[in-house]
Amino acid sequence: MPIRYDADLARFEAACTVEDALPLAEWLEATAAPRVDLSACTDLHTALLQLLMAARPVVTAGPEDAFLGRVIPLPPTGP
Amino acid sequence: MSELFDQFVVEVQELLETAGAALLALERDPADRASVDELFRAFHTLKGASALFDMAPFTLLVHAGEDTLSLLRDGRRAMTPELADRLFRALDQCARWVAALEEAGALPADAAAAAETLVRGMAGGETTTDAAASAGEADAFPWVAALTDTERAAVGEGALTAIDYTPDPECFFTGDDPLALFRRVPDLRLLRVEPTEPLPPLAEMDPYRCLLRFRALSGAGVEAVTPAFRSVPDQVRIGSVALAPMLAPSAAPPGSLAAAMLDEQARILDLPGNAAERDSRRAAAARAVAAILTALGRATERAAVEAACTDAHTLRRFLADGPAEKPAVAEPRPATAAPRRVLRVEPERMDALMALVGELSVVKGQLGPLVRRAGDGEMARDLKSFEARLDGLVGDLRHAALRLRLLPLARVFDPLPRLVRDTARRLDKTVELVLEGAETEADKDILDVLGEPLLHLVRNALDHGIEAPERRAATGKPPAGTLRVRAFQDKGGVVVEVSDDGAGIDPAAMRRAAVAKGLLEPDAAAALSDDDAVRLVFAPGFSTADSVSDLSGRGVGMDAVRAAVERAGGRVEIASTPGSGTRVRLSLPLTLSITRVVVVEAAGSLYGIPVALVGGVQRVPRAEIRGVKRAESVVLRDRVVPLVRLRRLLGQPGDERVREADCVVLAELGDGPVAVAVDDVGERADVVLRPMTGVLRSLSGYAGTAVLGDGRLILVLDLRELL
Repeated sequence: MPIRYDADLARFEAACTVEDALPLAEWLEATAAPRVDLSACTDLHTALLQLLMAARPVVTAGPEDAFLGRVIPLPPTGP
Repeated sequence: MSELFDQFVVEVQELLETAGAALLALERDPADRASVDELFRAFHTLKGASALFDMAPFTLLVHAGEDTLSLLRDGRRAMTPELADRLFRALDQCARWVAALEEAGALPADAAAAAETLVRGMAGGETTTDAAASAGEADAFPWVAALTDTERAAVGEGALTAIDYTPDPECFFTGDDPLALFRRVPDLRLLRVEPTEPLPPLAEMDPYRCLLRFRALSGAGVEAVTPAFRSVPDQVRIGSVALAPMLAPSAAPPGSLAAAMLDEQARILDLPGNAAERDSRRAAAARAVAAILTALGRATERAAVEAACTDAHTLRRFLADGPAEKPAVAEPRPATAAPRRVLRVEPERMDALMALVGELSVVKGQLGPLVRRAGDGEMARDLKSFEARLDGLVGDLRHAALRLRLLPLARVFDPLPRLVRDTARRLDKTVELVLEGAETEADKDILDVLGEPLLHLVRNALDHGIEAPERRAATGKPPAGTLRVRAFQDKGGVVVEVSDDGAGIDPAAMRRAAVAKGLLEPDAAAALSDDDAVRLVFAPGFSTADSVSDLSGRGVGMDAVRAAVERAGGRVEIASTPGSGTRVRLSLPLTLSITRVVVVEAAGSLYGIPVALVGGVQRVPRAEIRGVKRAESVVLRDRVVPLVRLRRLLGQPGDERVREADCVVLAELGDGPVAVAVDDVGERADVVLRPMTGVLRSLSGYAGTAVLGDGRLILVLDLRELL
């Protein structure tokens, strides 16, 4: 699984595909204050991006991938 | 809402005003190219600005307006009063929407339908069919014109390829990954991912449905970009756009005070000194630069400013180019589009400043006696010159503080051309509006007071004053009436005159109407002078019925006009010549926070009477005062004026001294002049009026207390209440 869920933190790793959409949606909905770590993510499917835009989780680390880094219009790292 | 939105609201209001003025000019002279261009520009800018926000009906409407104007500009459509009506209606709708947005944060539910109706209205009568073709390619990507400054800086300038990609909502099922397509776009300069509709709450969201829209700019040519979207030709629009070079983001307009202040900071950094001195200068300069930039609407990272303040060269470059490098973590904030033109200050702070200035004047006033006590020595001379300097400075400070609240009367004049146009059109009259003195300044509070009465007067003049063209022609007047609204400064106040060349007011008809309404006994009405009869329009309850307008009286709500103006310490006068016109004059104080008073003395105490009420001050020989029992009267300026003694009004003992003449202040109250006899008349003074508080509040007859420049306390009289 390219996304590892660890209590309230989801780590995105390598290429995250549309297959991850449903589990991610459920996790985002079930978690009170979700945080995501995108640093190791190399590819993010549009469906996942859309979920992140809707849920606006705290991004503990942005993607290192240059293309994703400029695309992701997410709020800056939380306090 | 956000700062960006606030700015949008201000900008749209300005644009709507500009458009309204241009439209009026254009209707008057359909060949006026400059107005067509200005109108077109205004609509175009409105369209661009509105695209930043979620307000599709607004954008649709202004877009249609722009199309119509583009036809007009190319001579493919002619300006008609009907078309002007429709464009005006569109502008009005926009103004209402902006108000709704500001209030509720969203367009009203019927916005889309309203836009559609207006758009159809504007399109009606269109003679050509190639309207669509006339829209240039740049118009196909309206968002390109509305990029934020940060985005503009990122994309560069020149020919670019714009991509507008709205994926099919079901595209995830066919294995599409819209985002991935953009990885294959060469020289991608900008990529915006936005929801096509507000995203629903997570619980109601279908994760397999694509609700996003992609907008991008690439530095590569159209042919190089197109292959990336080969699989989705029906969902993407690709076209070339040209971006004008961005204006150099100079920190402050050259030559402005801010620019001079920034330059001064750079100079300070280069001054010689030891390390400690330089360090403290750097800190001070950084604080100053940050404050100036914030005031200019260019709030900047504190750290970046501090880094730039190492030496003059770095600071100058920083001011010219912006921060050398952006901090890596910071999200690109929506940069404010332009330096704010106005600085908004809460009224409470202004009041606090005024109060402080008032206190300062009082304290300064106490210096005089001290200086006199110092005698004649060298020290006293120095003290005296010091006092004179302080005097000048406090005066200037007071003046400057007062001016902060002043705004040009253009604000209240602006709605008039449109009002006159619409009303005249409705009444089938031709009216030329002449506005003079729009640059005259008055306090914001005064402008607020003035707005409503002015509209009233103008409407009245059009309705009842200026006659229909046939009637004017029959009396030998030009068919078009002239309505003149003139503002000027006078006696420390501001005066606005509304005059027309209409039918005027017939005093005989006014007398009859007053009797018919039971306001006056027939003989009292007959005794009224013509001027006083005309003044009856201001009497409460006189003018609400239709019969008055039938009598060519002007009427509706003139007492409301008078009440509003007098509440603000002003005065209304009317002069009318039957057959040749009417003039109404509103005199208002320059400001509400500072009142100009005439200081008078009665029984050893000082009182103030607002200058706005004072028609004159003079000595009246005792012999000229006629007494009938306790009621006295005097003839002033050919009018019999009742005379009251201030001592008696205030319940003070009468003046025992034998005098040959009395000091009389002629007070012009709404229902006629009154002569007020006082012991003595002193200077005129600007004072900060403080309302009575605490137990004194229940005292009637006083508008408040005030402190004179020399520290003496006066009671400011409310003559209307006192009499």
